[in-house]
Amino acid sequence: MLRKWPVIAWYVCVVIGLVITLLPFVYAAAGSLKPNHLMFSELSPFTLKAFLPGTDPVAYFNIFEKGFGRAILNTLFVSCTSVVIGLLVNSTAGFAFARFRFHGDKVLFAIVLVTFAVPAEAIAIPLFIMIRGLGWFDSFTALIVPGIANGLVIFLYRQFFAGVPNELIEAARVDGLSWWRIYWTICMPLAKPVTIGAGLLLFVFQWESYLWPLIAAPSPEHHLIQVALGRFSTEFSAIWNEQFAASTIAGALPLVFIFIYQKQFVSALTGVDLK
Amino acid sequence: MRLSICHQKWLIPLIFLTPAMLGLFLFKIYPIFLAIWESFFIESFGVGGGKIFVGWENFTLLWNDFVFWRSVRATAILTVVINPVQISLALALALLLQRRSRHIRLIRSLFLLPIGIALPIATIIWGLMLNPNDGLINAMLGIFGISRQPFLTSEDQAIWAIVAIATWKGVAFWMLFLLAGLEDIPRQLYEAVRIDGANWLQRHRYVTLPMLRRTILFVLVADTATNFVLVVPMIILTQGGPRQSTNVLMYEAYRTGFLFQDFGKSMAIVTILTSITMLVIALQVLFLGDRRGANK
Repeated sequence: MLRKWPVIAWYVCVVIGLVITLLPFVYAAAGSLKPNHLMFSELSPFTLKAFLPGTDPVAYFNIFEKGFGRAILNTLFVSCTSVVIGLLVNSTAGFAFARFRFHGDKVLFAIVLVTFAVPAEAIAIPLFIMIRGLGWFDSFTALIVPGIANGLVIFLYRQFFAGVPNELIEAARVDGLSWWRIYWTICMPLAKPVTIGAGLLLFVFQWESYLWPLIAAPSPEHHLIQVALGRFSTEFSAIWNEQFAASTIAGALPLVFIFIYQKQFVSALTGVDLK
Repeated sequence: MRLSICHQKWLIPLIFLTPAMLGLFLFKIYPIFLAIWESFFIESFGVGGGKIFVGWENFTLLWNDFVFWRSVRATAILTVVINPVQISLALALALLLQRRSRHIRLIRSLFLLPIGIALPIATIIWGLMLNPNDGLINAMLGIFGISRQPFLTSEDQAIWAIVAIATWKGVAFWMLFLLAGLEDIPRQLYEAVRIDGANWLQRHRYVTLPMLRRTILFVLVADTATNFVLVVPMIILTQGGPRQSTNVLMYEAYRTGFLFQDFGKSMAIVTILTSITMLVIALQVLFLGDRRGANK
């Protein structure tokens, strides 16, 4: 009997942790399908019905009438453009760091590493002054261009390309392939796991950005999904079911991708290999 | 012929590198220096606009501004509370999830879910759950006979509510590094101290903590840097209030720039915040990092 106690304690801790972790997901998803007044009546006094999903999708229709569809399209456009350009630009740089020795390569790569440590929020305000000076204020350019070059993605590709066998590259050189062909037809197809992880990283980075789109592109026709969400929570603060519906949509899409490619995403984000 | 080879030696890397390096320099490195530069100017609202060089004036204005000092205080409180809380919980979670058990993969995946949720979403949902009148948390506390709490609307509790929200969102991410560190510790070490009769607490005190030292230091530095710029919950939920209790420096910089259009002063705050961040991280590395030769 005594030996079972650690196991029981372990399960108790896991259950408590999971309840805290999952509570907001369950409550928000359940509430998004209920009329507003029902959510309040279920809580005074508290009943477990608060965690059961309702059957009324009206909140989802309402948010699209308030321009949420536009925000989703904007975010998809900005995220997908960032992924395509970002993968190309950062992988070529990673390739150069892995395959070429040139004057100052170590210093340049050190600078790439330093950019990991620069938090996006800390540079958002000076970046805003700069973007305004360039005449990009309140445009998709302001949302996309500053996020394309990404030190972490360069680093991930460099690490992968440095591990590609030299003989493979040498053989291709002897066959007369240009460096561009070696990069594009030999190395990039090999780097598919990195491309999945890095692509997801760039996608999520745009999908979840808030402070930058809030200040750089404030007009509704450029609103990204998190900014639209923030607007709902202040402008329609009393309409809870719509805030839950918008949160559910904004949260579900990246979660689906992250769940499918969890291994690649986690290893791209942290360098940790989940076993 | 020799010239063309030489030419190619730097031309090819240059073509491959230029787009990304240009982007990094312009949009990640340059803004740091721009913030320092701009903090010595004010924007002129006169004819033609432009900027006026004012020397240290933005900084001396801040020095004499009690709102700024309250903001320093809020930042200090947040930093001292949130980083130890997040790292202890991340370590506890890592120890919990290290155990090999049935369904451990599924359990780990579920604990990782908040990593995929954007901070604004977490902020909004928790903000509604912590609503003092109709919120879920107060309703659940009611079952246990605990009276309604004001949470984000109270000067004393607002910062704790924000710590809770950011911790819910952040803990799993930091846990990943610690879990990887734990799994790298050789099992034989635990066997050895177990034979010596060490109990659970002693095993972790004399094996886990020393072996995890580097990982913990990394997580501490990265977490500290992240939390110094924590601003989303303040923008969405508290606007720095009540009574400036959550008006951290990053929010004060945002407010000064975008609500009061005083970008010179805003940049001065950003510069000060960046300096404080670097100083604190340097101290952490100095005091907690490997002291070379100290153990030999």
